[in-house]
Amino acid sequence: MTPTRDAILEHLQQMLRELASDWDLGEAITPDTLLFSQLGFQSLDIVVLGTALQERYEREMPFAELFANIGQRQVRDLSVGELAEFVKEHVGVSATP
Amino acid sequence: MGARVVVIGLDGATFSVLDPLMQAGVMPRLRDFVESGVRAELKSIVPALTPPAWTSLMTGRTPGRHGVFDFFRKDSPRSQHIRFQTSADIGCETLWTLADRAGLRSTVLNFPLTFPVPRIDGYVVAGGWMPWRQLRLGCHPPGLYDRLAALSGFNPRELAMDMTHEEKALEGCKQEEYDGWIDLHIRRERQWARVAAHLMCKDATDLVAVLFDGVDKLQHLCWRFIDPALEHGVTSDWERAIRDRCLDYFRELDAILAELIFLAGDEANIVVVSDHGFGSQIRTFFVNAWLEQRGYLGWVDGCASHVNDSQVLGMARLAKHVYELDWQRTKAYAPMPSGNGIHIVRADQDHPGGVTDAEYEAFRERLIGELVAVEDPVSGDRVVARVWKREEIFDGPYLELAPDLTLELTDGGLVSILGSEAVVQPRPHATGTHRPYGIFAARGPRFRRGVRVPALSILNVAPLVLYSLGLPVPSGLDGELPFETLREGTLLAHPVRYADQAEETVPHSVPAGPELSAEAEMEIMKRLRALGYVE
Repeated sequence: MTPTRDAILEHLQQMLRELASDWDLGEAITPDTLLFSQLGFQSLDIVVLGTALQERYEREMPFAELFANIGQRQVRDLSVGELAEFVKEHVGVSATP
Repeated sequence: MGARVVVIGLDGATFSVLDPLMQAGVMPRLRDFVESGVRAELKSIVPALTPPAWTSLMTGRTPGRHGVFDFFRKDSPRSQHIRFQTSADIGCETLWTLADRAGLRSTVLNFPLTFPVPRIDGYVVAGGWMPWRQLRLGCHPPGLYDRLAALSGFNPRELAMDMTHEEKALEGCKQEEYDGWIDLHIRRERQWARVAAHLMCKDATDLVAVLFDGVDKLQHLCWRFIDPALEHGVTSDWERAIRDRCLDYFRELDAILAELIFLAGDEANIVVVSDHGFGSQIRTFFVNAWLEQRGYLGWVDGCASHVNDSQVLGMARLAKHVYELDWQRTKAYAPMPSGNGIHIVRADQDHPGGVTDAEYEAFRERLIGELVAVEDPVSGDRVVARVWKREEIFDGPYLELAPDLTLELTDGGLVSILGSEAVVQPRPHATGTHRPYGIFAARGPRFRRGVRVPALSILNVAPLVLYSLGLPVPSGLDGELPFETLREGTLLAHPVRYADQAEETVPHSVPAGPELSAEAEMEIMKRLRALGYVE
């Protein structure tokens, strides 16, 4: 069954909460939390997080395209909610053309 | 019952360094281990590089058959884009997946390409490119990270990868940073040892495999203080102090080995191995600059990154070739400094300046001939010892992902992918770089004692470990069981069993998505550059 956006968001927040607890991050993880500026992610972290999400949802997702789109913004960052939305868009899509 | 087999990896360890340290009393426990077991040099694969070499060791297969040629891999055979390798890129069984399928349990610590973690029965803490912020995701089974976090002194920042520290090994660092950098690696090895000891004491698995990578890092950066042949150059107080800190590292490593060997017990078969050896690099060959001078490569105006105080090889320029190179004018390029590989651009709609199928063979031959003629302008020595065509050193289903050409430099060094006016430059002092021959030492009930045997292949290790675990050796492996390491009577008591070729795993653990067009890929890379993501 295809997971809902809320279920994906909840999973993502829970995963990031667990990870952030290992860094002694004082802030709560919300849908508005920004990965680069607030969580201090670097490019390698994004690669690993993307790999983990692909494994979890058994689906290859165009993460490079996602981050390319962010690059066109004034504020080059990505929120937890946006990431959940991105995953939602692709978990329901057939993998093979 | 303790582990049946313990594999201790020392990344980049070489007897040319360890023998003098053992003789000088810096590593007395390793000396006792080596002298009371069987030892040999261990020939690596080509390229003698950490990801493909360890993958060959843990699969018993050559790169063309396991699919790992470098730290990064091309998206597809004709793509110019490269991406990080993951465990999903290993296209065959590993020691631990084979053990798992046979009902045995494994503990696997700090090996490259173990993320996403294999869901085996046992324990995995991913190594290689695992960033510290997400080390929890690299731990298996669930709950393991919390167990480890409760250990005294546990610090994920020091246990896992930090790119700013990693780059220093290859690109160098300021004089005042050496001491702290060496200390970091001493602390890191202690952390991995603590994790290994904890798991071995609390829940010993049939196979324990733990990798210590500080040897490689120290030898890259501190080779002139470590190599016995260069000891005469250690003259200043600072140089002597750094050499002493390097020796402290090896003393600490010796103590760690002693602890793990003790915990393994007398009934365990223990194998100490490295993925490649080490030697000096005395000059830098700027291969992309050379290709440019020959008219085979073009930079986008103003894009060529040049050698400077903080970069020699171009580790920080990885993946930037995609937008730094002018693909209308580029026929050949080196995307990475690590594997000494040159890729030939094949002509198509997006690469009109590339090499057509009809031209390919003649172009490759011409490149080889010109490369082996490159001379050091100071000494007149040849710079390139040998150039391999990919089919000369690789075969198997992943052949098309390999570089078209792989260089062996006469000083054994790595190429630089940066731009440069001079294509060959001497190094101000020798740095450490990989060599083909690493180490093998084994001790335990199945091994001969106190003997030295001729060099083994790194491909021999997987069948040896499987045999020592009591498992059948798959017939499809590229390496054979090294009978010369086994004690007399071992084969009679424990006959070798062979199994049909191991069932190939699917190379990708997730379904492949639709492929992007070359145009779309290029657009994405341009945008990634704007973001700073492709760094």
